[in-house]
Amino acid sequence: MPILKNIAAIAKGMSITFMEMFQPTEVENYPDGPGPLKGAKFQERFRGVHVLQRDENGLEKCVACFLCAANCPSNCIYIEAAENTAENRVSGAERYAKVYNIDYNRCIFCGYCVEACPTDAITHGHGFELATFNASNLVYRKEQMLAPMPAHMGANAVFNQAEVNQGAPAVPVQGV
Amino acid sequence: MADAPKLVNLTVDGKKLTAPAGSLLIDACKNVGIEVPSFCYYPNLSLQGACRMCLVRVEKMPKLQTACTTVVAEGMVVATDNEEIKQARKAMVELLLGNHPLDCPVCDAGGECELQDMTFSYGAAESKYMEPKNHKDEQQWSPVVFFDRPRCILCYRCVRVCGEGMDVWALGVQNRGVSSIIAPNKEDHLECEECGMCIDICPVGALTSGAYRYKTRPWEMNHVGTTCAHCADGCKTTLGVRRADEGMEIVRGDNRDKSGINNDFLCMKGRYAFDFANHEDRLTQPLIRKNGKLTPSTWEEAFELVGKKLNEVRMRDGGSAIGVIGSTHTTNEENYLLQKFARAVLESNNIDHHRTADFPALAAVLSGKQEITASMRDVYNAPAILLIGNDPTEQHPLLAWQIRNNVRLHGAKLHIINSEPIKLRRQATSFTQIPVGAELNAASFLAGDDSALNAITASASRENWAALRNQLRNTENLVIIFGSEIRGAAVTAVTHLASSISGAKVIALADYANSRGASDMGLYPDLLPGYHPAAKSGLTLPQMAENAKSGKLKALYVVGSNPLARFHLDSQIFAGTFVVVQDMFLTETATIADVVLPAANLYEKTGTITNTCGDVQIVKKASEVNGPKSDFEMIVRIADAMGYDVRNLVPFGRGETADMGQSRGAQSGEADRHAVWLQANNLEPKLSPFDPMAIFDEIQRLVPGYRVSRLNLLSGNDEHTQLSQSGPGAKHDPALIVPAHDNLFSSGTLGRYSRALNSVMENRNPQPAEVAAD
Ligand code: SF4
Ligand code: SF4
Ligand code: SF4
Ligand code: SF4
Ligand code: SF4
Ligand code: FES
Repeated sequence: MPILKNIAAIAKGMSITFMEMFQPTEVENYPDGPGPLKGAKFQERFRGVHVLQRDENGLEKCVACFLCAANCPSNCIYIEAAENTAENRVSGAERYAKVYNIDYNRCIFCGYCVEACPTDAITHGHGFELATFNASNLVYRKEQMLAPMPAHMGANAVFNQAEVNQGAPAVPVQGV
Repeated sequence: MADAPKLVNLTVDGKKLTAPAGSLLIDACKNVGIEVPSFCYYPNLSLQGACRMCLVRVEKMPKLQTACTTVVAEGMVVATDNEEIKQARKAMVELLLGNHPLDCPVCDAGGECELQDMTFSYGAAESKYMEPKNHKDEQQWSPVVFFDRPRCILCYRCVRVCGEGMDVWALGVQNRGVSSIIAPNKEDHLECEECGMCIDICPVGALTSGAYRYKTRPWEMNHVGTTCAHCADGCKTTLGVRRADEGMEIVRGDNRDKSGINNDFLCMKGRYAFDFANHEDRLTQPLIRKNGKLTPSTWEEAFELVGKKLNEVRMRDGGSAIGVIGSTHTTNEENYLLQKFARAVLESNNIDHHRTADFPALAAVLSGKQEITASMRDVYNAPAILLIGNDPTEQHPLLAWQIRNNVRLHGAKLHIINSEPIKLRRQATSFTQIPVGAELNAASFLAGDDSALNAITASASRENWAALRNQLRNTENLVIIFGSEIRGAAVTAVTHLASSISGAKVIALADYANSRGASDMGLYPDLLPGYHPAAKSGLTLPQMAENAKSGKLKALYVVGSNPLARFHLDSQIFAGTFVVVQDMFLTETATIADVVLPAANLYEKTGTITNTCGDVQIVKKASEVNGPKSDFEMIVRIADAMGYDVRNLVPFGRGETADMGQSRGAQSGEADRHAVWLQANNLEPKLSPFDPMAIFDEIQRLVPGYRVSRLNLLSGNDEHTQLSQSGPGAKHDPALIVPAHDNLFSSGTLGRYSRALNSVMENRNPQPAEVAAD
C-alpha cells in the first residue's frame, strides 16, 4: 500500500524532529562564552591566522625561500629577504625574512603556503577574529604572526635586539 | 670556413637527421630539439667530458658514450632516451648529490638550477649514504664573488670561461679526483676582472654574486631586457627588478638568454654597477637656490623659474647668451629633443657635449661612401682585425671579448698598434709598439705615406712596418678599430687605408653608453642631427666657459653632464650665469647651479641608444625611484613653461601616432607585446608629449642612417646604422676630444656612486701583476 508506506516514512522523519525538539539547546555561545576563546570551539585542524614558528633556539624557522609566496593562489604573501650576519642572526640559515607580510584581505586560508614550506616555518593558528573597519589593518606583518620565544628561553622575550633598536616592539604582538 | 661544411646523416631516437661533419653529437641533437642533459658542456668552451650526464647509446660502441665529446659520423645510430640511459644518468645525479647540501630553499640558484632540474627529471633526491655530509663554510673571494664549496659539482665551466673566454685565468683546480676543488688565484681570494662570468655560467649555486645573493628568488623578479648604461659597447642586459620602498629596484643583471650582440657576456659594470640608482645621495626633489643655498622645491616652482629665467635671457640678450650641454648617457630621443629645444625654443646653436671620439671627422670622410662601418657582431666574425690605440680590455670589455673569442674560435688575425703593451697583445698576431702620440704617423704610413714612418721607428724595424702594411692590404674584410688617439687627420688616414682594402670596415671607439648617439643626434654647435651642417655655428663647450668668464653667457642648461669636473673649470666663472642642471646627483656642476632637477637614469626610461659601432638598441624602463623625472619630460616641461607650443617640439595628439606601454617598463604586461607590432608599423596613437617614440619617428625621418627596422629594434635586437648615409660632417679641433680614461671599474659619475664598483676598487691592490697564461 503506497499510502501506508508514505505515512510510515513521514512518521519516521517527524520522530527525529520531535526527538531533537526536546533535547537541550547546544549552540556556541560566542562571543559571550567563557575562556579566552569566548566560547568559540575549534577542530584541531582549523586554519586560522598564520603563525611563523621558531626553532628550539628561538631563531625564526623561515629562511625566506619565497616558496609559500610562489604557491599562494591569491598572491597575498610579500617577503623581503636579507642575509643573516654574526651580529644580527634572525634565522638558522643564511637568509631570513626581513619583511614578511600576509594580506588577509586576500588570503583564502587554503593552507598551500603551509604545504609548500620546506622548513615548517609557517603554520595555520587558530586566530580568526580578523574583522576590522580599516582594510589596511588586514596586512599582517611578521611581528604580528611570529610565535613567542620557546618557554625555556622565556616566552615573549625580546626577540631580536637589533630589530628592537630599529623600532620593533620588544614583545611580540600576538595576532588574535 | 668559406666552403659549406659537408653534411652527414645519422639517426637519433629513430629520427633521421643531418648535421655538419665535425659537429658534436650533443649539438646535433639540440638543433633538432632532442634534449641531452649536460653540466660540463658549454658552447664555445673547450670540451671537458667531466660530468657524464650526456651519456647516450651509440650502436656498435661498447659502452655508453658522452654526447658532448662524440663527433657525428655517417650512419650513426643513437639512442638518447631509454631505461639504461636513464639509470646511468640517475646514478650520475646520485653521485653528484652524495655530498651536495641540497639547501635549495636558501640557495641562490634555487628555481634556475640545472642540478635541481636534473634531480627532478631523474629522481635521485634520496641518498644511499649514511655518513653525514662534509660541510665547508662559504668563502668570500672578492667583493662580488662568493664560493660555496659543497654545492660545486666540478663542471669546470667557471675555470674555462675565466681562462678561455676572459683570458684572466684566475680560477683553477686544486687536488685530483674526489678531492678536487675550485680555487681562486690568490689562495683565499681573487684578483681578477670581477666580470662575474664564472658566477653566471655556474650551473648550480656554488658561485654566487655579492650583489644578488640572498636578496630574492628568480621567480620573484620581473625581468626587463634593456641595454647597459656604462661603456659605449652596448651590451644587452636582462635586469631582474623587484619592488622596493621607493619604486622598483634592480637586483641582478645578466644576459642568460644570450640574445643581443654580447651573447652571455657582461663585464663588472653591466653585471653589478646598477646600484647607483639606489644610492642614498640620489636627488629626488628639485632644488632651487634661495639666499645662496640650494633648497628643495616643487616641480612646478622649479619649471616656472627655469622657464621664466630662460625666457628673460632670450628676450634680453638673445639665444646666443644661452648655452646647452648635453649628455652621453641620455637616449637618442632625449639628445635629439635637447638640440631641437636649444635650436627652436632657446634659439641658440650653443650646444655641445663631452666628446670622446671624432665622429664628425669620420662622417666627413665616409659621407656618400659605401657601407663601411662595422657592427659589434662583425668584430666577432671578421677574419682579421687591426686595432690602433685604446685598451679595450679596460675601456671596451665587450669589444675585447669579441676580439679574444674571434681569435680563439675562428682563428682571426689580430694586429695591434699601441703605445702601451696592452693585454690584448696576448691574442695578437702582430703587436707593434709606437711612441705615445704617434698614432697619426702610424695611420698615415699604413695609408701609404712612407715618410710618416720616420717619426715612429728606427730604421731597423722599417721592414716590419712595410710587411705589416702589405699584409693588411692583402687582407679581405679587415675590421679596423681605433681609439680616440686617432682624430682629425688621422681619421682620414685610417679611412683611406680602409677604402684601399676590399671589404674593410671601421669602428671608432667612444667612451660612454650613448656617446655615439649624442654625436649622431647633433649635440654640436655646428652640426644638426645626422651630421648636417647648421646654418650658423654656435659655441663649443670651452667657448661657452670663456663666454661665461667674460660675462657674455647669461644662462647655461646642463643635462646629465658634469663639465666643471671634466674640464676642470673654475666654479667662479659661472657666478653671473643662470645655471640649470639635470642630474642624478649633486655633482660639482650641480653644486653651483641655480636650479637642480633630479633626473632619471638610463635604466629608468625608454628610448634608443647607439653604441660606438653604430648599433642602435632599445632601452626599456626597468627600475624606478620616486621623485626624479626623465630628461625627456623635463625638457618638454621647460619648453612648456617658456610658453612654447610643445606640439611643435614633440609631435603628438590627433593624427599622430606612440606609447602603448613601452615607457611604463616593468609594470606593463600584455599591452607591450601588442604594442610592439603597432609601433613597428607606426600605427599606434601618440597621445602624450612625453612619448619618446614620437621623437623616434622624427629621428627616423631626418637621420638617414636610422631608417632601420623598427620591429627588429623594438623586439630588443640591434640594428646597425651606417654613418656613410649621413650628412657631410665637419672637421673639428682635435683638442675638443677629451677621453674619459675609465677603466674596468670606473664609469664617470655613475661609477662614483656605485657601491659595487667602489668596493672592488678599495679591495684592489694598486695594480695587480698580469697573470701568466697557461
Ligand atoms: S614561510 Fe616557509 S615557505 Fe615561506 S618563505 Fe619562509 S621558509 Fe619559505
Ligand atoms: S645548487 Fe641547486 S640543487 Fe644545490 S642547493 Fe642550490 S638550488 Fe639546490
Ligand atoms: S669574475 Fe671573471 S675574471 Fe674573475 S674569476 Fe670570475 S670569470 Fe674570472
Ligand atoms: S663552481 Fe660552479 S661552474 Fe665552477 S666547477 Fe663548480 S659547479 Fe662548475
Ligand atoms: S662591456 Fe660595456 S656595455 Fe658591456 S656590460 Fe661592460 S660596461 Fe656595459
Ligand atoms: S656534458 Fe658531456 S660529460 Fe659533461
